Amino acid sequence: MKPRWAGLLLLIAVIGVLALLPMLVNNYWLRIATGALMWAGLACSWNILGGYAGYINFGHSAFFGLGAYVTALLMGDKLAWPFFATVPAGMVVTALFAIIIGAPTLRLRGAYFAIATWAFAEVLIQFASVMDFTGGIGGIGLPPFLDERFFYFAMFAAAALTYLITWALFERSRFGLKVKALRDHELAAEAMGINTSLVKLQTFVLSAVTASVFGAIFAYWVTFINPKSVFGGDITDQMVVMVLLGGLGSLWGPALGGVGLFVVNRLIWMYWGDTAFYIAILGAAIVLVVLFMPNGIASLFSRRAAKSGAVLDKAVGKLVGDDQGGPN
Amino acid sequence: MSVADGKTAGAGDPILVVRELYRHFGGIKAVNGVSLDVDRREIAGLIGPNGSGKSTLFNLVSGAVTPDRGQIRFDGHEIGGRKAHAIARLGLARTFQIPAMFDNMSVTENLLAAAAEGHWQGARERAAETLALLKLDHVADNRASDLSGGQQKLLEFGRVIMRQASLILLDEVTAGVHPNIRKIILEAIARLRERGITFLVIEHDMEMVRNVCDRIIVMDAGRVVASGSFNDIVRNSEVMQTYLGRPQ
Ligand SMILES: Nc1ncnc2c1ncn2[C@@H]1O[C@H](COP(=O)(O)OP(=O)(O)OP(=O)(O)O)[C@@H](O)[C@H]1O
Ligand SMILES: [Mg+2]
Repeated sequence: MKPRWAGLLLLIAVIGVLALLPMLVNNYWLRIATGALMWAGLACSWNILGGYAGYINFGHSAFFGLGAYVTALLMGDKLAWPFFATVPAGMVVTALFAIIIGAPTLRLRGAYFAIATWAFAEVLIQFASVMDFTGGIGGIGLPPFLDERFFYFAMFAAAALTYLITWALFERSRFGLKVKALRDHELAAEAMGINTSLVKLQTFVLSAVTASVFGAIFAYWVTFINPKSVFGGDITDQMVVMVLLGGLGSLWGPALGGVGLFVVNRLIWMYWGDTAFYIAILGAAIVLVVLFMPNGIASLFSRRAAKSGAVLDKAVGKLVGDDQGGPN
Repeated sequence: MSVADGKTAGAGDPILVVRELYRHFGGIKAVNGVSLDVDRREIAGLIGPNGSGKSTLFNLVSGAVTPDRGQIRFDGHEIGGRKAHAIARLGLARTFQIPAMFDNMSVTENLLAAAAEGHWQGARERAAETLALLKLDHVADNRASDLSGGQQKLLEFGRVIMRQASLILLDEVTAGVHPNIRKIILEAIARLRERGITFLVIEHDMEMVRNVCDRIIVMDAGRVVASGSFNDIVRNSEVMQTYLGRPQ
């Protein structure tokens, strides 16, 4: 089992470097690393539902933003909760909303779910923009805590946990078997006794809750949020592109896509002082991936990585509704 | 034999009881008043021309399609209109006429997924046994979508074995497969029957029906039109001409 050992050594090396990074680089690069970890985690969070269950979420920023706003509101002057107490609160709020959105729509074909999630994120932008208690369009500030190392390690821990949970649940347990089975054939999964509606909902809640944790850390880190900066559709767009680029339905693909794209984003910003160009790169990346690398970057490194192109076919099938094509 | 219903005479406690079952699709009367019984430990064959409603009957019994009206009782439970997964958990398993693979999962994972809900204890060992029984060991790690059509039929059958069901519905599992694969499936059916499992099988191949089935139920145009032993059915020249006289 040579490749296995190689993979394990690589993983240990990566974790080692990441653990020592704050001692190796200055604050500027540490901030970039913190952002890269956040995006790697967010891409994984989107991939939990999109890649393993085949349900496309076009409003995942809603859950990132919910985590951010709950933390911002609870840490405000009036309540002044400690940061670590706000994180579980955000997770609970997010889980409740995920259930409210997911329970009725995940029974239907994927298009309903896609539209519902997209609309939910839009509603939250509007809601947060007009409400007083959220600070309206102006947004809200959080008590500043200017310790770059803290945020680096917080993102590192959150990302590591997200990947660990994803690995354990989707690559190593029978829960993952159920999720992948319903992704590939819902009717057959039901015939195997799998309660597909319930399993989809559980997967969606997990996906949403992990996103909320990154939102919470993000809000505290940047000390100021507004509706666009945490609910914005471009946040979801980036997660989707990162996952497609890295490998839909694979464990490490989203990490590669997330880190890769975010670093490109920062480099463009450094050299041009503007990220408009980045949007063009996102678009081009999508086209190139779909045309030339439908299985994502992960497939280049691992024979065993999911064939993302085939997974994408399933997700698109659910979206347009040919998945159920008659139970013959 | 009793023409025009699928009930057996005087048998004790049937595992499956269907009464006056209806399901129409628009103007198509796919299942139009079906009543039948399947006794414990028998292998009942379900035959009939294309479009006579056989697969729809399977879909109704397994919960993939909801009935318009009628009763379905499985192992003492009223299951008409229940969710497919709930029916499966009661011990009913079925295959699909068009193989319904978990395409992006390996052959082994397909088998394990079938056991993920229910009998998970020892699932890995049973998956290995099933692979050996169906002679699929050499493709155990292949993606299901990469299998040949015949191998996919075998895997359909293998998943059903993993369910450890008491009633198995097979929808043309041997249709269009190589004789070697057919032989593997027939042997596996014989093995399972020794364990007391009941089968209801849709078959077009009369040779197979004759060799495997204890009793035959004939459907036409959404109704059961005859039931009895193979010889009964064959002797009934009306049934033969109307329903079996077509080229196979
Ligand atoms: N989901 C559906 N929607 C509309 N019509 C359907 C549906 N399922 C089955 N039918 C129709 O119901 C009728 C019975 O179909 P069914 O598949 O049950 O027949 P069958 O006996 O299994 O035929 P075959 O031997 O060809 O498999 C056909 O006319 C079919 O087109
Ligand atoms: Mg059929």
